[in-house]
Amino acid sequence: MEKFIEQLKKIKKGVDFEHETSLIDGGFLKSFDVIQIIGMIDREYGISVPPSQIIPDNFNSAKAMWDMMDRLEN
Amino acid sequence: MTLTSLTFFAFVLACIIVYYIVPAKFRWLVLLAASLAFYGMICLRYCPFILFTAFSTWAGALWMGREIEKRGLEFRSHKAEWDVTQKKEHKHGTMIRKRLILLLVLVLNFGILAVLKYYDVAAGLLGSWFHTEVQSLGILLPLGISFYTFQAMGYMIDVYWEKTVPEKNPAKFLLFVTFFPQIVQGPIGVYNDLAHQLYQGHKLDYENIKHGFQLILWGLFKKLVIADRLVIALDHLLPLKHDLSNASNLLLLVIYCIQLYMDFSGGIDIVRGVAQMMGVEMALNFKRPFFSRSLAGFWQRWHISLCSWLKNYLFYPMAVSRAFLRFGNRICSLERSERELPEDSLWGGYTFLQHLGRVLPGCLATLITFFIIGIWHGASWKDAGYGIWNGVLIALAGFLDPLFQWLLRKLNIRTEAVSWKIWQILRTSALIGLSFAFDIADGFRDSLSLIWKCLTPAGGPVSHLGTEIDSGLTIQNWILAGICLLIVFAVSLYQEITGKSVRSGLEKQNLWLQWVLMLGCFAAIIVFGMYGPGVASGEFVYMQF
Repeated sequence: MEKFIEQLKKIKKGVDFEHETSLIDGGFLKSFDVIQIIGMIDREYGISVPPSQIIPDNFNSAKAMWDMMDRLEN
Repeated sequence: MTLTSLTFFAFVLACIIVYYIVPAKFRWLVLLAASLAFYGMICLRYCPFILFTAFSTWAGALWMGREIEKRGLEFRSHKAEWDVTQKKEHKHGTMIRKRLILLLVLVLNFGILAVLKYYDVAAGLLGSWFHTEVQSLGILLPLGISFYTFQAMGYMIDVYWEKTVPEKNPAKFLLFVTFFPQIVQGPIGVYNDLAHQLYQGHKLDYENIKHGFQLILWGLFKKLVIADRLVIALDHLLPLKHDLSNASNLLLLVIYCIQLYMDFSGGIDIVRGVAQMMGVEMALNFKRPFFSRSLAGFWQRWHISLCSWLKNYLFYPMAVSRAFLRFGNRICSLERSERELPEDSLWGGYTFLQHLGRVLPGCLATLITFFIIGIWHGASWKDAGYGIWNGVLIALAGFLDPLFQWLLRKLNIRTEAVSWKIWQILRTSALIGLSFAFDIADGFRDSLSLIWKCLTPAGGPVSHLGTEIDSGLTIQNWILAGICLLIVFAVSLYQEITGKSVRSGLEKQNLWLQWVLMLGCFAAIIVFGMYGPGVASGEFVYMQF
């Protein structure tokens, strides 16, 4: 998870990925950022995120993204 | 029957009365009957198109739902005995079946939309290429075809993604597709947000009636007092634009932007107000778009329901598709250097190739999405140009973002300062304003020429608005339009700064004052609205889609 947060920080600088829970609803992440995150998850973790999973609930926090990856992997 | 006609409001009143008279469990039937009657009254001969879309989508979704259920059962009953490969094969088989059904429904319905919208243009092009005459279809676009097709196909994709359970009752689904206030110009509803509101019988609620009435009044104010006043000037001036000075052309473009926004957002307010009076809360379609600080932000505030549809069902699926991601990864892998770059380097801690590979899927998907937005507006090169203008600028902004951040740091610019935010708003509004040159020009080349004229306001012929050329409106009408625009601006500014609606402030006042203000607004619309003998209320611009 720590490594994942570091990778997120590299994609979008200046965002508090440790604590923020409204990354999408609060406007911290835009569509371009979401696509870069999905690309990173695909490259670094070998997990494909299908378009049906691109909903605010899955991207509002680093933990939500991590949980989504966990669900998709299993 | 336009949304501002007395006939429409008499129809709405009758519908509301009947809606609340009949027992709650039959109220959705009142909405369905009203919606079919409304569509039939406006364009009876085009009813087969909307009925086909509704029934083909309903049947396709039901078929898909049954396949999902059947295959799911099969999977669960063999789960214990199957090995991993068999399980994978079964899942793959289910996906292929689902995909085929989805494809069939999408091709059928988008096919109809494409043929009706683009056949005549394609026929003209083919005719000119092969020097032969290809007969046109000779039919107009059915009312709201884009809106109801997008809405129905969104539902179909949601069923495919298993976000939505298919509706079993065809009559209920028909209501979702034909709901009368929204059929004219949207907003495009999402099944999970809208359908249950349509099907449940809402209780008569004073707040809903009052808020609905307020929204309708606000919409009528924007449409009848401002947009329909400015459209007189536009009708008068647009044919003369080649005789106008460059500065006057710039002014013309500004008037066009304002007219379009007042027309479209006013219409949506009326639609949402009518729906709210029957307890249905429709999605927002505008959120003060001219306060956006970036072009991408503008498209999250302008025609929100269409943009959100395209984002969810086209942009994301394309950008995260295997092909797009693999293409991006391949470019990333071209980078041979393994050195670590500092976070504040030119490309945000990445080399140029790594950055390019990371953002390319998003950039390509943006370009394609906006090209489609362009040709959705019309089947011409200038409409494609409108989409390309927006797509290229947004894709470039996304690509160059680390470079801009680097520049801002180097130039020590405080991005939280109000002055910087105002600059961003003005820059975005200017780019949006210039993009509307593609709307009012006679063709693609003319659009570019108009943009150039607006960028060089000192040149061109010397004919100016209001002096050499009559604008079609008296000075009193210009002043009135200006005052009304200031009111809209003040309301928007208040909402933008406080995050609250003016309505919530009004709620705190005494009931009599609330109604005095509302009736005052109603009287202002009666007195200053552009209608009556000799002045026909203009049709809504987005009705033609």
